[in-house]
Amino acid sequence: MTDPNKERAGDPQVSQRYRELGAEEPPRALDDAILAAARRAAGSRPAPLAAPTGRGRWFAPLAAAAVLVLAVSVTLHMQLEQPDAESPSPRADPSPPPPKISAPEARPQTKSAAVTGEEERRAGRQAIAEAPRASEPKPFLEDKLAAASPAEAGPLAARPAPASAPAAVLSSRSDQARAEAVSAPQAGALQPLAKRAVTQANVQTETPERELERIAELRRQGKHDEADKALADFRKRYPDYRIPEAVRERVERR
Amino acid sequence: MEAGDEQLMLAYREGDAGAFEQLYRRHKGALYRFVLRSIRDRALAEEIFQEIWMRVIEARARYEVPAPRAGQPPKFTTWLYTIAHNRLVDHWRKRGLALVSLDQEETAQAEPAAGADYEPHRVLEAKQTLARFARSLGALPPAQREAFLLHEEAGMSVAEIARATGADEQAAKSRLRYALSKLKEAVGDD
Repeated sequence: MTDPNKERAGDPQVSQRYRELGAEEPPRALDDAILAAARRAAGSRPAPLAAPTGRGRWFAPLAAAAVLVLAVSVTLHMQLEQPDAESPSPRADPSPPPPKISAPEARPQTKSAAVTGEEERRAGRQAIAEAPRASEPKPFLEDKLAAASPAEAGPLAARPAPASAPAAVLSSRSDQARAEAVSAPQAGALQPLAKRAVTQANVQTETPERELERIAELRRQGKHDEADKALADFRKRYPDYRIPEAVRERVERR
Repeated sequence: MEAGDEQLMLAYREGDAGAFEQLYRRHKGALYRFVLRSIRDRALAEEIFQEIWMRVIEARARYEVPAPRAGQPPKFTTWLYTIAHNRLVDHWRKRGLALVSLDQEETAQAEPAAGADYEPHRVLEAKQTLARFARSLGALPPAQREAFLLHEEAGMSVAEIARATGADEQAAKSRLRYALSKLKEAVGDD
């Protein structure tokens, strides 16, 4: 085996003469260029081990949190608006009952609304804008927009509110919308929170119609006392709900 | 206590640009002279010197401290000069292993400073001696010159020279011995 220390011992005279050749160094410009390249390369690393300081310390987590909040809120918004666009407004004007709207007419709007949050909002407004033309009852969304942003919902609020559709039609269409919302591909990917919000929204928006339908059914069966009691109970629970004329005829005692 | 070369290179690998600067300052002179005296063309030497450091920068992610061999700690220097050796081999291949004579510029810095006992004939003599030594160095076969320069500039042992140049120890030892022998002749002619 070679002894490295022994092998390192060269010739002192030769070494001395070699040293006399001089100790040249690279030019300053070359130093700067190499060091700058090294710094650039070090800066391009995605995750340095050293803890980031200053702006870099909070910027990345903040950006990640913002993206997360945006994604959750858009998902929730999409799921809340889908059933609303087809639900009747509790404050719908008691105008003459509109003709029944066909389901295929409204469904494409609902489906097209599943792309992005902005498209969803646009589709929701479009659905509202087309509601009078299609003799659709005034949806909750319109009320929400009017309450939240008068400027944004101004044109919508100025439009005459449509009358409610027959409760049976509304009920079946709401069921259909809910079924679509649940069976849609994105519903499978919903987080538990979003699912809970959808369920709550469905209960809140469809209960009055269901109740009225039930009362109308009682009235039709001649159970007037029971119907009166249910109607009184309904008005107690929904004091602001204006029952459409067509529905009122069916639920009130004549 | 100063960090070792290997620790500095690992720190640079993790994004510490300051570690690279320390490494560079430690090794730039020796590496520059190694390249300059290997190819004896200043402009080309500067270009190759820069390319070697660029390769170090690019290869930082792959740098790992090798397992220490028996009796020898792992050395960054060996890794650095292996890169330099490979770059010089590329250069020599392009040049067909041509040897270029050492020009006067190489020896200009070795001129002794004029002092009180300034004697023109001694200065001239010293200059000629140094030029002769430089010529002998330039006349060495590239492999022998490389072994000598690695020994002188990087302070490498025969085993380290063998690793840096990809040769076996016997060949490295032989190259160094021949180089020293020829250069000693040049010194002995003084």
